Amino acid sequence: MIKLIRRNLLRNKRRTFLTMASLAMALFILSLLGVVNDALSFADESDFQDRLVVRNAISLTFPLPEAYEQRLRTIDNVIAVTPQNWFQGVYKDQRPENFFPRFTVDPETFRSVFYDYAWNEEEYEAFAAQRTAFAAGRELTEIQGWSIGDIITIKGDIFPVDVELQLRAIFEFDEPGQERQIFFHRRYVEEAMGNPGQNGTYWLRLDDPEGAPAVIAAAEAMFENSDNQVRAETAEAFAASFTEMLGNIQFFFSMIGLAIVISIFLITANTMAMAARERTTEVSVLRTLGFRRNQVLGMVIGESLAVGVLGSALGLGFTAVAIRGATPFLEQMGFGFGGFALDAQVLVTAVTIGISVGLLSGVFPAVAAARLKIVDGLRRL
Amino acid sequence: MIPIKYTYRNLFERRGVAFMTLASIGFVVLVYIGVLALAGGLRAAFADTGDPSVVIVMRDGTRAEMESSYAQESHRLLTAMPGVERTADGAVMASGETVTIQIFKRIDGTETNVMVRGVEPGAFALRPGFEITEGRVFEPGRGEIVVGRSLAGRLGLRVGDERELGRNTFRVVGTFAGVGAHGSEIWGDYRDLGDSFRRSGFYSSTRLQAASPAAASDLIETVKADQRLHVQALTEPEYYELQSETSSGQFIVLGNVLAVLMAIGACFAAANTMYAQVAARAREIGTLRALGFKRRSIMGSFFLEAVLLGVVAGGFGALLSLPLNAIQTGTMNQVTFSEITFQLRTTPFALFSGIFLATVTGVLGGLLPAFGASRQKITDLLREA
Repeated sequence: MIKLIRRNLLRNKRRTFLTMASLAMALFILSLLGVVNDALSFADESDFQDRLVVRNAISLTFPLPEAYEQRLRTIDNVIAVTPQNWFQGVYKDQRPENFFPRFTVDPETFRSVFYDYAWNEEEYEAFAAQRTAFAAGRELTEIQGWSIGDIITIKGDIFPVDVELQLRAIFEFDEPGQERQIFFHRRYVEEAMGNPGQNGTYWLRLDDPEGAPAVIAAAEAMFENSDNQVRAETAEAFAASFTEMLGNIQFFFSMIGLAIVISIFLITANTMAMAARERTTEVSVLRTLGFRRNQVLGMVIGESLAVGVLGSALGLGFTAVAIRGATPFLEQMGFGFGGFALDAQVLVTAVTIGISVGLLSGVFPAVAAARLKIVDGLRRL
Repeated sequence: MIPIKYTYRNLFERRGVAFMTLASIGFVVLVYIGVLALAGGLRAAFADTGDPSVVIVMRDGTRAEMESSYAQESHRLLTAMPGVERTADGAVMASGETVTIQIFKRIDGTETNVMVRGVEPGAFALRPGFEITEGRVFEPGRGEIVVGRSLAGRLGLRVGDERELGRNTFRVVGTFAGVGAHGSEIWGDYRDLGDSFRRSGFYSSTRLQAASPAAASDLIETVKADQRLHVQALTEPEYYELQSETSSGQFIVLGNVLAVLMAIGACFAAANTMYAQVAARAREIGTLRALGFKRRSIMGSFFLEAVLLGVVAGGFGALLSLPLNAIQTGTMNQVTFSEITFQLRTTPFALFSGIFLATVTGVLGGLLPAFGASRQKITDLLREA
C-alpha cells in the first residue's frame, strides 16, 4: 500500500511538485498573515494578572495628577505603584525604523511593578542615579548600534521639550518585542516642563491577582468626585484596548486567510481529481486483482494526505526562514512593535488546514474511484 | 493558425477543471483587490480633506493636532498675519480649534479613540463642503454637538442622544458630512468643549485661509519667520497626506506582498491545469500536428488558452470583489491614534491590477505546458492514444 502511494506520488513528479508547491505557498502566506496579525495585536502575552493600569477616564491624552500615586498606594491589596508616560517624540526622523516606544518612568519604583525585566544591577544603579540617563532593550541597542555611554537626542512633540539622554543600562526581556523600547526619568521631563505634576498612567502591582476587580472598583470610586476621574483595568485589558482600536482590520485578515484556504482547497482538490481520473483504468485493474474498495479509498486519500503533510512542512519551513529574513522589512512597513514570532497557535492552525485540505481534497476522487464498477473502469480504456 | 474557437471550446469542454482553476485564481485576485480596496478606501477618506489654500498651524514639533497646544496670544498673532483672506463682511478667515480625544464604545462593544473638535464660527467658512445631513448644527453655549455621519454609524449615535464629553454632558443635534476625514470626528463649540475638557484659552491648531496655494506658501514662510511663534505651518493637504500615507501605506505593501506570493501559488495551479489539459489532449495534439498545424501554432493555441483562463479568472475575481464597495468600516489612524472611518473602494486601478495579476498568472503558468505540448513527437502523441 505505502509503496503504491509513494509510487503514485512519484509517477507524475511534476504534478505532485506543483500541487505541493501551491499548497506550501498558500500555507506560507497563511502563517505569515497569522504572524503579522499577532504582531498587530498589542496583546500583552506576558499576562501578568497581578498588574493593573490606571489612567484618565476621558482618554490617554489627558493626564492624572502626581498626587494620585500616593492615594492609589493606600488601596488594599496594592503593593506597589509606579508612573509611566508615553513620551513619543521623534528620534532622528519620522522613518518607521526610528520609531520605538519611549516612556518616562520613575526608576525608584519602576522595578517594584515591572519586576520582569532583567537588569545588570550596576547598570541599573547608574541609570537611576543620573537624571539624564536612559535604559534601552538589548535588541533595540543592537538595531540602533548603541552602547553604554552613548548620547541621543529626542525631539519632543506631545511634551514640547527636547531631551538629551545618555545610555546607562541595557535590559533584557523574554519577548524580543519588549526589548524595543527605552525608559528615562520622568523627573527630567517634569522639570523641563516647569513641574506640571502630571502622569499619563499609573501601574499597580497587586498582592493577590484574584482581588483585581475589587481594586479596580476601589480605584475608580476613589476619584469619582474629583476633577480627574480614572479608569482602572488589568494590563491585559489595557493592551487589548489598543488592539480594539484597530477595529475590523483583524477581521479582514481572517477573511483574506479564508479566501486563501478556499483557493488552495480548490487547487489541491482539482489536482487530486485529475490524478484520480487519470487512473480510472488502473484502479479497476487493482480491483480485478483483488484489492478491496477500502484499500483503493485508502490509497487515494493517503496520496493526497501525503501531499498535504509535505506541503505544510514545506510552507512552514518557508515561514520560519522568511520571518528571520523579513523581520526588518516588516518593521519598516510599520507593522506593530510586538516583534515577529511563529507561535504555536499559528503553527497548529496552518498544519491543521494543510492536512485537512490534503485529506478533504482526496475524499471525493477517492470515493469516486472506490465506487466505480470494475467493468466501467475497464471499458474506459 | 489554429482557430481561436478551438481554444475557448477546449476550456468549455473541460469546464470542471477549468472552473476550478478559474475559481482559485479568482480568489487570489479577490484577496488582492480586497487589500487594495482597504488602502484605497483609507486614502479616499483623507483625500477629500483639506484645501491647498488653507494653512494649518500647530505647535512646533508636533505631528497631529491633538498633540499640539498653545495659548490664545499666539492664535491672535496668527490671525493678524498679512495674507490671510477676509470674508465679504471683513471678518478674518481663520479658525482656531481645540482637538482632544475621548474614548467611545463602538456599536459592536469594542472601544476606540474619537477626535473631538471644538470650533469657532469661523471654522465653517474654511470648509465650504461642510453639510448637515440630519438635524441641525450646534449652537454655542448650549452643550450641543454634531457627529460625523460615518462616525455616528460606527458609534451608534443618533440625533437626540446625550453623551458625556470631558466633564459635561452634550446632546447630539445633528450629523454632518462633506468634509473628508472630519467625518470621523465630533464637532462642538470651542468654548463649550474647551470648558468641559479644561482646555479653555488654548488652541490645538489655527487654520488660515490664503487666496491661493501660492499665497499659502508665502503665508507659511511668514509664519515660520515670526520669532514670537514656536509653531510650524503646512497646508491642509500636506497635513493629511502624512496620515493617509502612514495609515494606508502598510496595506499597499501588504497587498503587494500577498499578491506576489499568492500569484506564485496560483501559477503552480495554472501550470498544473495546463499540463493536465495538454496530457489529456495528447491524441488531439497529435492529430492537429498530423493535419499539418505547426508546432508554433499549437504552442500559441495552448498559450492563448492559459492567458484566456487568466483573464477570465481575473474578471471573475474582480466581479467577486465588487460587493466589497458596500462595506463601511473603520480603523485606527496611525498618526492620531483615533478612529478613522472609511468605505472600502475597489478603485479602477485596483480592479485593473487584479485582472493584470491574473493574466500574468495565466501567462507564466501556461508558458511551460504550452512549450511542452509543441515539443512532443507526432508519433508519440498518436501512440499514446
